[in-house]
Amino acid sequence: MRFALKPGHVVLLLFFIAAALLPLFVDPRGHLLRVAAMALLFAAMAQSWNIIGGLANQISLGHAAFFGLGAYTSTLLFLRLGISPWIGMLAGAVVAGLAAALLSVPTFRLKGHYFALATLAFAEVLRVIANSWADLSGGPVGLTVPFLGTQPLSFAFRAVSSYYWIILALLVIVCVVFYVLAHGAMGYRLRAVRENEAAAEVAGVNTFRVKLVASVISAALTAMCGTVFAQFTFFFDPDSIFSLSGISVRMAMIAIVGGLGTLGGPIIGALFLIPLEEVANAYLSSRAAGLSQLVFGLILIAAILIQPRGIMAFFPKTKGKTQPKAQPATEGARG
Amino acid sequence: MTPTNSKVVLEAADICVTFGGLKAVDGVSFSLHQGEIAGLIGPNGAGKTTLFNALVGLQKLSGGAVRLDGETVSGLKPHRIATKGMTKTFQNAALFPDMSVLENVTTAALLRHDLKGARAKAAAVLAQLDLSPIADADVADLTFPQKAMVEMARALATEPRVVLLDEVMAALTPSEMDEVMDVIRALKGEGLTFLVVEHHMRAIMALCDRLIAVNFGRLIAAGTPAEVASHPTVIEAYLGHGAAGQEGSHA
Repeated sequence: MRFALKPGHVVLLLFFIAAALLPLFVDPRGHLLRVAAMALLFAAMAQSWNIIGGLANQISLGHAAFFGLGAYTSTLLFLRLGISPWIGMLAGAVVAGLAAALLSVPTFRLKGHYFALATLAFAEVLRVIANSWADLSGGPVGLTVPFLGTQPLSFAFRAVSSYYWIILALLVIVCVVFYVLAHGAMGYRLRAVRENEAAAEVAGVNTFRVKLVASVISAALTAMCGTVFAQFTFFFDPDSIFSLSGISVRMAMIAIVGGLGTLGGPIIGALFLIPLEEVANAYLSSRAAGLSQLVFGLILIAAILIQPRGIMAFFPKTKGKTQPKAQPATEGARG
Repeated sequence: MTPTNSKVVLEAADICVTFGGLKAVDGVSFSLHQGEIAGLIGPNGAGKTTLFNALVGLQKLSGGAVRLDGETVSGLKPHRIATKGMTKTFQNAALFPDMSVLENVTTAALLRHDLKGARAKAAAVLAQLDLSPIADADVADLTFPQKAMVEMARALATEPRVVLLDEVMAALTPSEMDEVMDVIRALKGEGLTFLVVEHHMRAIMALCDRLIAVNFGRLIAAGTPAEVASHPTVIEAYLGHGAAGQEGSHA
């Protein structure tokens, strides 16, 4: 594969360098670094989602399922068996990958909204199971990751900056995976699936296999984000970790607002939406109940109306584009 | 004109496709010999596109079998059938709209090559069809004839033995049609086998070695273009009852 450094890649590289240096210049225990870490984590989550949601246009509204599986797998392995969350993170990726493969069989026949609803239902089912099967999951009270001070091998740190850098590293990994997939043979096939599934099949693309592989990779990376989230926040419960609005929709929303199917989209989307939400909460939540959500929602609607192709569409496009034209999630074979 | 000495590559045996209670294709049988260009004709709604979709695996058969080189391929997914050597073009060019011409063709070439090889193969196919100048163009910016040619290039990039062409010449001017027909004849010379759906009777008559006529999902005539075009049932299907005998020279 020919590699040419494009302006966009330089910008991305500079961003990663700047992001890596940020903890040196802000209060290491401050709120700002936590918000920045959360924004980067959501960027990584949205980028994971983007592999199947953006490249193949399979709009999943159930990625909280994989996020939660990652958090639960690593945390339960640590609490019950004393297995390091680092290993638990990989175990969670495997569990989520298997879950994605199983989910693929019934859902890949579905298109557009029906696919979105089926994935949504899957995450809801896991939420209900986690709430009711208390012997396994700890039930509705959730799980607490014990505070251990700084024990790197157990994925435990005192400093927020340590988690911040781990999250940044995860974001870089997810972005590299996305880039390699998007620009390799897989990327061609996924875009073909996105744009015309029937034509892709007839042109020799095994559409089921392509979607399956992308879905498994997407789920595994999302689960790794889930483990990091659990370690970073020290606590989660079924309703927050399998949350439709808090996780599933937010992942999709960040990628869509930033630019569906683009490398930079999830990062820009997360850097725009997560701080915006934070600011809206800080300034408006004390005024009236629901006001901050209302304002946040209005800004989202405005963003989508102003630029349906996402913030990335404002930037000049380089060749070898991977972004779809503004089109609804439903597509039909026009053959 | 039928090359009876060459072997049968595609055999359709008693193909049936049912939509609910409607028999869209009702027991159609025919076979294609290697290096032959056969035309599939019939009025609108006769079941031509449905039959094409059934052959390449996009449409489930409710009866019958499709055989490629004697091997049954019906029931396989379209990409498996493409691997076995049969693909089709789409009516109204179903290209991947957000990919360049080269990317469209490369995707199909990935069937038998890695990415590097697929790019080279795609470039070679584009060169063969004189499409190299538009290799980097956006599909959305192409003219109708260009889209049809890219659609054909994408089909050829799968390195098929049998290609089903669904109205690639619709919306072409007569001179553009001649160009496309020259390309198809050249590929036939390389041993490719074609089944062609086309509404332009001039193109069909000039291009095809043999015609297969269908109406209401049934095969109504097969033979040389002249035979089929003058077949009373075919004339009746196109022009209505009572037209046979008066308009025998047209179809």
